[in-house]
Formats: sequence, C-alpha cells, structure tokens
Amino acid sequence: MSGPGSGVTLDDVRVAFAARDGDGPVVAVDGVTQEIPARGFVSVVGPSGCGKSTLLSVIAGLRGATSGRVEIDGRTVSGPDRDVGVMFQEDSTLPWKNVTDNVRFPLQIARLPRTEQAARAQDAIDLVGLGGFERRYPAELSGGMRQRVALARTLAMRPSVLLMDEPFAALDQQTRLLLGAEVRRIWGETHQTVLFVTHDISEAILLSQQVWVMSYRPGTIIDVVDVDLPDDRDASVVSTPRFNELQNRIWEKLRAESMRGFAQENQVPA
Amino acid sequence: MSVRAPEAVAGTARRPAVRRRRRRPGSGLVSALATVVLVVLAGAVAEVGARAGWWTPDVLPAPSDILPATAQIVAAPEFWPDALRTGTELLLSCVFGVLAGLLLGVAFWKAPGVGRVFEPYLVSFYAVPLVLFYPIAIVLIGINQWSVIVLASIMTAIPMTLNTWTGLRAIPPVYLKLAASIRCSRSQTLFRVALPAAAPYVFAGLRLGVVYALIGTVAMEFTTAQAGLGYQIRYLYESFDAVGMYAYILVIVAVSVLLTAVLEIAERLLLRRRDA
Repeated sequence: MSGPGSGVTLDDVRVAFAARDGDGPVVAVDGVTQEIPARGFVSVVGPSGCGKSTLLSVIAGLRGATSGRVEIDGRTVSGPDRDVGVMFQEDSTLPWKNVTDNVRFPLQIARLPRTEQAARAQDAIDLVGLGGFERRYPAELSGGMRQRVALARTLAMRPSVLLMDEPFAALDQQTRLLLGAEVRRIWGETHQTVLFVTHDISEAILLSQQVWVMSYRPGTIIDVVDVDLPDDRDASVVSTPRFNELQNRIWEKLRAESMRGFAQENQVPA
Repeated sequence: MSVRAPEAVAGTARRPAVRRRRRRPGSGLVSALATVVLVVLAGAVAEVGARAGWWTPDVLPAPSDILPATAQIVAAPEFWPDALRTGTELLLSCVFGVLAGLLLGVAFWKAPGVGRVFEPYLVSFYAVPLVLFYPIAIVLIGINQWSVIVLASIMTAIPMTLNTWTGLRAIPPVYLKLAASIRCSRSQTLFRVALPAAAPYVFAGLRLGVVYALIGTVAMEFTTAQAGLGYQIRYLYESFDAVGMYAYILVIVAVSVLLTAVLEIAERLLLRRRDA
C-alpha cells in the first residue's frame, strides 16, 4: 500500500466497444489526457451516456482501455487494485451480511488478520456515522444508509484512490446533500485522491477542487474548471455569486452536449 | 428474465408473499391451530363414517384402527429394512440430485451458450413424468435400489439446475463488479458472492427437488421393487390388508411432512432478515 493520496494520470485514454446493433464500434471515451494530483478531489460531469462511468471503470481496472494508459502512483493500471476503492451507483450491499460483515468482506478477501479486520471495520463504520447499526441487515436500512455501508466498506480497505460512480444518484435530494457533505468531511480526514462521477453540476462544484466537463459520445473532456471556493465550504455557498458563475460556466458547456445527446438517443431509426 | 421455466419461477415467486405473511404477528400460531383443527376434523369424519358404515372398512378403515396398527408396524423389526431401503434411496437421490443440479446450474451460468442449448429439454422434462422411464432403468440397471436412485436423482436435479441457474442469472450485476473490484478469485466470487446471492432461488429448487425425490422413490417402489415402503404399500394393497396399507401411507405422509418442515426451518434460519 502506498498510503493515502496517489496521483492519477490519464494519457490519451480511448475506449471503444462493439455497438449492440452491429454498425461499427461506439467510442465511449476518446483522447482523455488529464491528471488528478495526489489528495485531489476531482468531479466529472457530463450528459447521461457520455462515458463518464466507462472512464471510471478503466481507472478502476474493471475494464481495459482500447488505447492509451492510466497510471496510479506511477504504476500502469492493468486490473483491479486493492489500493483503489470503488463505490457504485447501484446498491451493492450484500443482503445476507449485516453491516459489520459487509464492511469486513473485502478485508476478509484480502486476508487481513482478524483483529485488524474488526478494528478497521469499526473505524470505517464510525467514520460514516453508522455506529449503533453494526448488527442491522441491509433490508432494515434505507437507501441512504446502505450507500453509507458501501462507503464504509470502500474506506475500510484504506485505499489511496477513491473512485465514486454516481454514488448518490438514486437517493433523494436531501439525503444526497447530507451524504455529499459527509464525503467532503471524510476526505478532509483521510485525504484520499477522489474521482467523483456525477450528472449533478451543483454536487460537483460543492464537493470538488476541480470539475471536468465531459462531452456526449465520444466522451472527451471539453472543459476543466477549478473550483476556487473556500475549502471549508458548506451547502450555503450555493447562494454565493462565485458558485453561480461556476455553475453557469459548466451549464453553458453541458447544455449543448445534452441537446446533442438527446437528439442522438431519440433518433428514429431509418 | 425468461419465463421459460414455469416451475422454477412459481417456486420462487411465492416467496415474498410467504415472507410478508410471516411478519404479521401471531399468524404462525393461527395457521398451526388451523392445521391441527383440520386434521382432527378429518380424522373425526373418517372415524364416524367407518363406524356408521358409510363405507366399508376395505375402502377406509377407522383411524382408531389405523393408528394402533401404525404404532405396531413401526415397532416391529420387519419394518426397518424397508424403511432403511427407502431412506437410503431418498437420501442418496437427494444428495446426488442436489449436487448435480448445483453443478449444472453453475456450469450453465458460466457458459450461457451451453445453457441455452439444454434449457428447452430441462424445461420440458418438467412436464414428463420421469417415472415412465423406470422400465428402461430396470432393463439397464436391474430391479434394485440403483435404478430407483438414478431416476429419482434426475428428478431432483432438474428443479435444482433450473432454479440455481435462474438465481445466478438474477444476481444484480453490481455484486460481480464489487467482487472484481476487491479482487475476489473465481471461487471466492462463486462461493462468497454469487451462490449466496442466488440462495433464495436455490432453496426453492431444493424444496421442489426433495419432494420430487420422495414422490419418485415411493412411486417406483410401488410399481416394481422387492423392498421399500412403496413396495409394502403395493403388497398390502394386493393382499387386501387395508389397515396395514393405510398405516404405511401414514408413515410416508409423516416423512414428507417432516422433510418439508425441516427444509422450511432451515430456510428461515439461513435467509432470515435478508429481505424485510
């Protein structure tokens, strides 16, 4: 393990896959050359279907790039790495395990000593505010609580890079704001390198230091926006003029892309 | 999801309703009481009918005759070789059938092309009374317990295969992404993620499979065998010993009730709190 905070380097990453209807490859991601500094918090926003989740899968090593290279902490990514934690949009808590056992699961797979497993699981559970729910089963928890379990499970591995694929997209607005603030607080404590994929512009600005704006297919980064808001910001910054400027700038870029995506997705087949 | 496996789907679709019913307070007690009342009522009608001469004792003897006869038969040493024979056949066909079903279900899941080739045959085998192949099994294997075990194993394996496969195909893809991201090995992915996730389906298949094994075993003994509980029923039937025949029937009914109850309890213990 390389400790918290490894930089992520993307070098001309391109991902293409065969289209379902068989006419030529679909290019999901193209020519992405970017860098996330160690301990940085970067969000990716883009219209739905723009390949932002695909990009995350490539960084996670769950899918290979067609060409180009991904490096984490100087090493080329060739497959999933325990030093890289992934959190998914869908509910990934295992319904036959209680909260503690869910959080311990990756630690068991990694064959950590039992006492270490227990200590790390408890730390992570406390960190995400699930103390007191250790013996509950996912079926007894709300959607937001289950995503907290998934977050705790990812954090318990103590990864140096945290990849989050629209983790709160399925939750209601209030829960999402709350959990966003939690992620920000936890990042302040643990200082992992974070890549956060979302389609919510204000969520991206609220959470991150930098926002990458992605185009509709083929997904390229069309703008990189540095978020120069104070580090100890909370949800009240949404009413500041600077927040509005940032939001407008990103929305200007995204609107055209969303329209293009909408037109293509709803095309009547000839 | 396909609807091509009617039994497999029926076996599992029932589950949520059962669970919800269980959560209503006191419903277990109510249904247990209702069962007891029904059994007692049926027994009383049978008793009164036999005593009053509504039917002759060859059709249905009075329960007050059957029950002591059952106790006597079970206490007699000649009962146990038959029980042992049927029990062995049942146990072995359950073990073989369940293992084969799990293995095939996993294999079909891993190789969907192979699965798609065999699926129509498996599903149509559901509709075929496999007992029909008993004469062939006798020709191939002989009149012994192995011909029963082989066929009953197949009868068990079919619902196990279909349900295991259906269950594995129904796993949320994110579980497998999770397994990959935390670097589970292939066997860890199968045994610690995929099969536990498919457990409710596997259990439904197990319940069907065990019941099929019992039906198959008794039915085949009933037609042609030299020993076993089914054979005894046939023998007593042909020698007009109605009381003895009903006593053996009662024993088999008791075994099936016991099996169902054990599986139900095991399922509740293993899957408890999984879905609220």
